[in-house]
This record gives sequence, structure tokens and C-alpha cells, in this order.
Amino acid sequence: MRRKVGSRVAQWQGRLFLAPTVVVLLLLTIFPFLFTLAMAFGKVSFEGGALKISLVGIRNWVRLIHDSRFWNALVVTLKIVGLSVFCEYVLGLLLAVLLNRRIRGRTFFRVTFLLPMMLAPIAVGYMWRMMLNDTRGPFNHILGHLGLAPVGWLSDPNVAMYSIILTDIWQWTPFMILILLAGLQGIPKDYIEAAKVDGASGWKIFLYVVFPLLTPASIAAIFLRSVEAFKIIDIIYIMTGGGPGLVTESLTLYGYSVGLRAFDLAYGATISFSLFFVVLASATLFFLLTRKARQISLE
Amino acid sequence: MMRKRIADILTYVVLIVWTVVVLFPIFWMVTTSFKDKLDVYLGPRYLPWVDFKPTTKWWVRIFTVERRELITPFINSLVVAGISSFFAALFGSMAAYALTRYRFRFGPMKNDDILLWIVSQRMMPPIITALAVFLMFRVTNLLDTHLSLILVYIAFNLPLAVWIMANFLSQIPRSIEEAALVDGASRAQAFFRVVVPMVLPSLSATFLLCFVFAWNEFLFALILTYSRAQTVPILIAMQHFQRGPQWWDISALSTLAVIPPIAITIGLQRYFIKGLVPIGK
Repeated sequence: MRRKVGSRVAQWQGRLFLAPTVVVLLLLTIFPFLFTLAMAFGKVSFEGGALKISLVGIRNWVRLIHDSRFWNALVVTLKIVGLSVFCEYVLGLLLAVLLNRRIRGRTFFRVTFLLPMMLAPIAVGYMWRMMLNDTRGPFNHILGHLGLAPVGWLSDPNVAMYSIILTDIWQWTPFMILILLAGLQGIPKDYIEAAKVDGASGWKIFLYVVFPLLTPASIAAIFLRSVEAFKIIDIIYIMTGGGPGLVTESLTLYGYSVGLRAFDLAYGATISFSLFFVVLASATLFFLLTRKARQISLE
Repeated sequence: MMRKRIADILTYVVLIVWTVVVLFPIFWMVTTSFKDKLDVYLGPRYLPWVDFKPTTKWWVRIFTVERRELITPFINSLVVAGISSFFAALFGSMAAYALTRYRFRFGPMKNDDILLWIVSQRMMPPIITALAVFLMFRVTNLLDTHLSLILVYIAFNLPLAVWIMANFLSQIPRSIEEAALVDGASRAQAFFRVVVPMVLPSLSATFLLCFVFAWNEFLFALILTYSRAQTVPILIAMQHFQRGPQWWDISALSTLAVIPPIAITIGLQRYFIKGLVPIGK
């Protein structure tokens, strides 16, 4: 763009720099995405080792609508996303505000608080599985000492989902802290000083100055975390395997089971692809709901 | 003043409580790997040397008797995460360089749209592409190979790498590389000899972050590998299903699995604290 001479050459140079990324994404994201879409409207068979897909219309989708296990997985996924992201945001906001104060050991706290999100979810799920064990885990042991009845953290159908959510909160609150803290540090100090001069208390400053100015960071944090939360499988896989019964089976886990354990690829693809619409619908709803807040924060 | 004191004390109380919440599960996993069978079976034991006598025998067993079968997944994880992150960081910074230095127009898409398109790939739930990716590698006979995982992880980490590097590259001054261009260097030379050395710290941070995500990845590893190319998360899951309640072994493996990410987090603290990328940009 700077060198006017040979701008066609420059054009091609730019494309060459961009090419590897575009090729990789086309090959391993866009193509499989379209391939899954085709499978979701088709029948997959192996004829003499060769893969064959024949289109069958919306048959798979009709089956999906009548599949109570799909609706169960959808509700489970939405509940996990809603509850964990809400708790993670509230906790993350509290901790980010505290970390933003002038305190000793700031670096230590910040690094420690980040750790959970960097660990392999499989290892995290395993830690929590051990701790939530009915007889050998510290949770029930401590409850016993407090004179309370033991809880079937992973075996009681009414509780298992909350154990999954608890684990998710432990692992992903750090993500909220990371983004909200960056947002807090971006708030100009003058605003807060001005409010102090006007005699506003700490609470009022937070409620009327800090929190509104934090809106873009809050929206980004909630959006990015929700999108990630929809993908949940690893923690569930190791902690409950979707059980007891199906009470913790997420959409990703169901799609995986149907597609690769039962090897019903076409229907597995249909379930998997439905997650795309779920995420798309949720994202659209989220943007509509936050439209007002986003406009205010822009002013 | 009094109010400030109280606020300070409350702050420390909450921060210390959360520190305990964060560290306890990690502590539990590490200590379990040093517990003898009975200390696991006979209810929870908490403190080494106080209510149980730590033993190193499981660790010794992992590094001796079981070494041959357990070491392969660790090598696989290192190879797959290392190579894929290298290419993700390389391709990602090249794309980020292109998007911050050239003006593109593909149909209605300009630079910002291309960046958004790349970054949005990250938001797609992986299960949507997973079954098709499985078939692609089955047809090409690449199931259970390093190559399949490396390719998938490059695609998996690229959006993140492009996003982070685009932010870094848009901040660095262009005068130096332009001086090189005036001196007759080609664009490729300017990029590899001038720009890359300038952003090397950020590039390494990007590499390490990609490494952690690839090291921890579960779904694709589960789908694409079954024996030779198994990675560490799959090893842990499989050991868990084979051995059931033998917590000590799996705790030791899990401890090994979380050491690299913890080391990287501590190493990258500067980046995390400054904020890896400006928010709301």
C-alpha cells in the first residue's frame, strides 16, 4: 500500500502471507463443516471401503425433533451454560475488583487465580471426581464432621449436574477474572477521582461509575465464556460419563456417542450440527438483549 | 481510615479463601499420588506426615515398571503440541502481518472482516467438524497418527494466534521494517529478519499459549487416536476406565500432565497481568 509501484506484486505478496492460514482453515474447518451439513441431510455408508453419502432430505431432522434424548441433552447443555457462566461472572467480577485494589502479593494472587483454566480439563475432572467421592472424598467427610448427611455428589441424579457446574466454575472463573481485570485497568483513574471528590462512597462509585464503564468487558467476557461452555464434554466424560442415567449428558457428548460409539454418522452429524444452531440462536439473542447496554457504553 | 482498614481486611480474607479454593484440588491430586492404598481406601487423609505417611512407590513404578507404556503418550503430546503450536504461531503471525500491512478486498470482505472471519472459527463447537474430520482422516488412512492431530491442532489454535499477533503487530512501529524495505530487502526478508525478531517475546507467548491448549485438548484426541498416537488426556481417561479406583497412579499421571501448563502460566505471568490483548478493541 505504501509502494505504489508494483502494487499488483504487493497484492500477491500479501495473499501469500495470508495463504497458509486460509488454506488450513478451509481444509480443516470450513470443509468439515459443510461435510457435516451434508451428512446431516444424508445417509452414510461404506461400500467396499469407499465412503458414500446419499441425500435423504430432512429425515434425520424429523428424527431429531422426536428424540427425547436430544431434548434432554439440549436442556442439560443450556442449564450448564447458564448457571456456570452466571456464577463465574459474579465471582470473577468480585475477585477482579479485589485484585484491582492496592494490595500486597498482587502478582502471587493473580498468577494463582489463573491456574485452573490452564490445566487439562481431564485432570481437573479427575481431581473433582476424587474429592466428590461418596465415601473417600473430603467433601462428604467434612459434611459428616458438621453433622450433615452425606451427599451423592456424582451418583444422585438431583445433584450430579451441580457437581459438574461446580467443577466448571472452579476451572473457568479465572477466564472472567482475566478479562474483567483487563477491563478494570482500562478505566481512567480521573473518573473515579472525580466521583470521590463529589463525595461518593465506594459502593456508589462501583455501582454508578465502575460497573457501567466495565460493560464492554462484561459483555465480551460473558459472550466468549458462553461460547466455550457450549462445547463442554471432557469434564463430564471423566466425572459422570453423562450419568447417572442421562442427567449430565451434554449435546457434544450425545453427538459423540451416536456418531462414533454407535457409529451412526449421519444422525451423529445431525445432533452435532444442531449445536451450531443452538450457539447461533443464543449468540443472536445475547446481542439483542445487550444492544441497549452496548449503545450506552459507547456514548 | 477505619472503613479503609475494614475493606482491606475483607479483601485479604476473600483473596485468601479463594487461594485455598484454587489450590486445594491441586493439593489433593498431588498428595493422593503419594498415598498408600489404605490411606486412599480408608477415607480421606489430608496432611502428609500428619495423618498419613507419604510413599514414593507409585512414582517409582511410573518411572520404572510402567515407563514403557506410559512414556509414549507423553512423547506424543510433546511432539503434537510442540509442532502444531510452532506452525500455528508461524502461520498466525504471517496472517496477522498481512492483515496489518496490506489492504485486502475479497468481494465484500475487507481486512477487519477477514480477521473476524478467522477469529470466529474458534467459536464453532468442535463436535460440529469432528465427525467429518474423523472420516477425512479415515479415508486418507491417517487415523491414529501424529500428523492428523498436528493438522487439527494447527487449525484449532490458528484463530487465537492470529488474534493475539494482530494486536501485537498493529502496535509496533513500522519505520524499522520500512527502512529495511528501502534498503532493498524483500517483504519476506523484512518479515523474518526484522519483524519476527522484534516481536519474538510475544511470538513465544503465543506459541506457549497454543501449546497449553493443544496439550490439554481432549475431543479430537479421543476421536482421532486409539493406541500409537494417544495423548496424555486420553491416557488419563483410559487408565481411569481400566483401573477404576486406583487413584494414586492416575493422580501421579495427572500431576505430570499439569506441570507444563503450570510452568508456562508462571513463565507468562507478565503477559497475563498486563493483559494479553486489549479488550473492546
